[in-house]
Amino acid sequence: MSTRQKHVAGTAAGLKQLVKNVSGKSSPVSALFVLMVFGVEVGVGIFVIRDLLTAYRDVQQVYAGSVRGLRSIGELQYQAQETRRSTLYALATSDGNLQVTYADQSREADKRVTDGIAEYLAQARTPREIGVGKRLANDWDTYLKIRNDVLGLILESSTKEAVDVDLKSGVPLFDRVRQDLDDVKRLYEEQASQQLAVVAVSSRRLVVKLIGGLGFAVLFGSLAIWAIQRSEMRGAVQLAKLQMDFVASVSHEIRTPLTAILSAGENVRDGLVDGREGLVEQGSIIVDQAARLADLVDEVLLFAATIKGKPRYTVRPLQVSEILECALRNSAVLLQKSGFTIERQVQQGLPRVEGDLSAISQCLQNLIVNAVKYSDKDRWIGLSARIDESATDSKGVRISVQDRGVGISSSDLPRIFEPFYRSPRVVEAQIHGTGLGLSIAKSNAEALGGRLSVISEVDVGSIFTLHLPVAEEDRKLAPVTSAAD
Amino acid sequence: MGAKMLRVARILFISVAVVLLPAVPSNRTGGAAGFVPEARGDSRQSLAIVVNNSNPVDNLSFVELRRIFLGQRSRWPNGHRIVLVMLERGQPERETVLREVYRMSENDYRNHFLKGLFTGDVFMSPKTLTSPLVVRKFVFNAPGAIGYLRASDVDASVKVIRLDGLLPTDSDYRLQIDTR
Repeated sequence: MSTRQKHVAGTAAGLKQLVKNVSGKSSPVSALFVLMVFGVEVGVGIFVIRDLLTAYRDVQQVYAGSVRGLRSIGELQYQAQETRRSTLYALATSDGNLQVTYADQSREADKRVTDGIAEYLAQARTPREIGVGKRLANDWDTYLKIRNDVLGLILESSTKEAVDVDLKSGVPLFDRVRQDLDDVKRLYEEQASQQLAVVAVSSRRLVVKLIGGLGFAVLFGSLAIWAIQRSEMRGAVQLAKLQMDFVASVSHEIRTPLTAILSAGENVRDGLVDGREGLVEQGSIIVDQAARLADLVDEVLLFAATIKGKPRYTVRPLQVSEILECALRNSAVLLQKSGFTIERQVQQGLPRVEGDLSAISQCLQNLIVNAVKYSDKDRWIGLSARIDESATDSKGVRISVQDRGVGISSSDLPRIFEPFYRSPRVVEAQIHGTGLGLSIAKSNAEALGGRLSVISEVDVGSIFTLHLPVAEEDRKLAPVTSAAD
Repeated sequence: MGAKMLRVARILFISVAVVLLPAVPSNRTGGAAGFVPEARGDSRQSLAIVVNNSNPVDNLSFVELRRIFLGQRSRWPNGHRIVLVMLERGQPERETVLREVYRMSENDYRNHFLKGLFTGDVFMSPKTLTSPLVVRKFVFNAPGAIGYLRASDVDASVKVIRLDGLLPTDSDYRLQIDTR
């Protein structure tokens, strides 16, 4: 395999990398979509979890309130019965000691009931609760008075009187107390059922919210996936189009010089060339077109090397004049042939810049070639170098290439640094090119810590500026005066 | 002779002083009927006569008290039946009451009520309770009850009545328990 074939193989690999690279351009968008989906899912999740927690707390409150309330009322009912039961036990014995014991039991139970009623009244909120509570407290107090009388009569051995008083007043009063307690219990049950109804409504709402939230999340996720896929597909289509354009462009770029070389060769072979002058002319055609082919191949190879990985640069402090000379020397033939005038403006005392001579001069060369290519009738190119005052952290140097050509439309400006991109205007105008020059120049500039910017106006011209960092050693130097060269 | 009289007088004075000094009331405003129970540092304690807080009687003469304890009076001025509460046999409080109020032995006491109930001279039979605590609770619960407690066992749940105008904390109070 010859060196040239190796280069071509390398170019194929570079193109593969390019495909990957261009496809990868949609990755930030996809990542953004994924992030959005994640955010939305998390948001919906938090929303759902918060509602679930609220519902759980509601249910707990209802359960605790109902159970505690019913337990309290059950305890009250039991203690009220105990109050009365102990009194009746005292009635059933004539032993004074036992009677005192039963009286004690009755009083302990009645104290618990009194405390329970007071607690209920303290917690009562609605007028109905307060009304029932007050009625219960009043009836209980009245019953206790009768109970005390009965106890006294029992202890005084007035059993018959005790029974009479209890039957006449104690029993009906205790029935009222029991009814009051039933009312309180009924209130608790009503409240519990109301709270349960509220919880049921809240649960239904929660289910609806859950379904809504999940539906939204699924819908949003689907939309996001669709958008991601669409974006990826657009990228793929765009890539395919660029590839086709590239192949067409390269084919055209290769075929034109090849045709010229073939024609010149056939002329020489068929003896159609007369004399030495004719031979020189045909030879020049062959050499020029072969050089054009070589340039084309070099450009593709350089691009492939740029996107394959970081090219190896020999970074060192460079004089700006050295860079300009190198770039102009490499473009001299083209400039002379095209009849361009170069106007140079270089600020005096410029510090050295940091970079690789070959790469930077390649950048400038690409810019100069573009200026030649896209200049219309005005065959003038401005080349200037001055200190870059806009550089933020350290001073830089800006080298500008200006032309008075066709200019770039504002819609094309954001895309001109994309590999293979060629403006429809220049394609229509049949201005040949691969769409790689600016991309290579930008990659080189950025790889060396600089950048490439452009200002352009249609039918007025363009200014491409290469911003380069000042060499470490010359950071403190400043230009003294400016002068035109 | 004069020296002998002087010695006897000195002994009497010291005895009275020992008995009376700790009994000087320091506070007559709190508790039932202004009675505040105080523990005595000696072997003698006052025996308080207690009734239910609702009982309107604040003062009894010793004679009236004796009649009540003998079962010869059946009702209080408010109409409640009088219920006499006694502690079980062998307790110092009961012995004090038998000695000071009934002036009877246990047998005489028993016979008095057996005979009195049979003849109708006695209107009620005393309730016999096991401990001062039960007595206190009984008196608290029964509006017509009357009983006795050591002054130190009294609390606000019952009312101490005066005997001949005197409270157990007063120096000349008659009912004293001898715990020796």
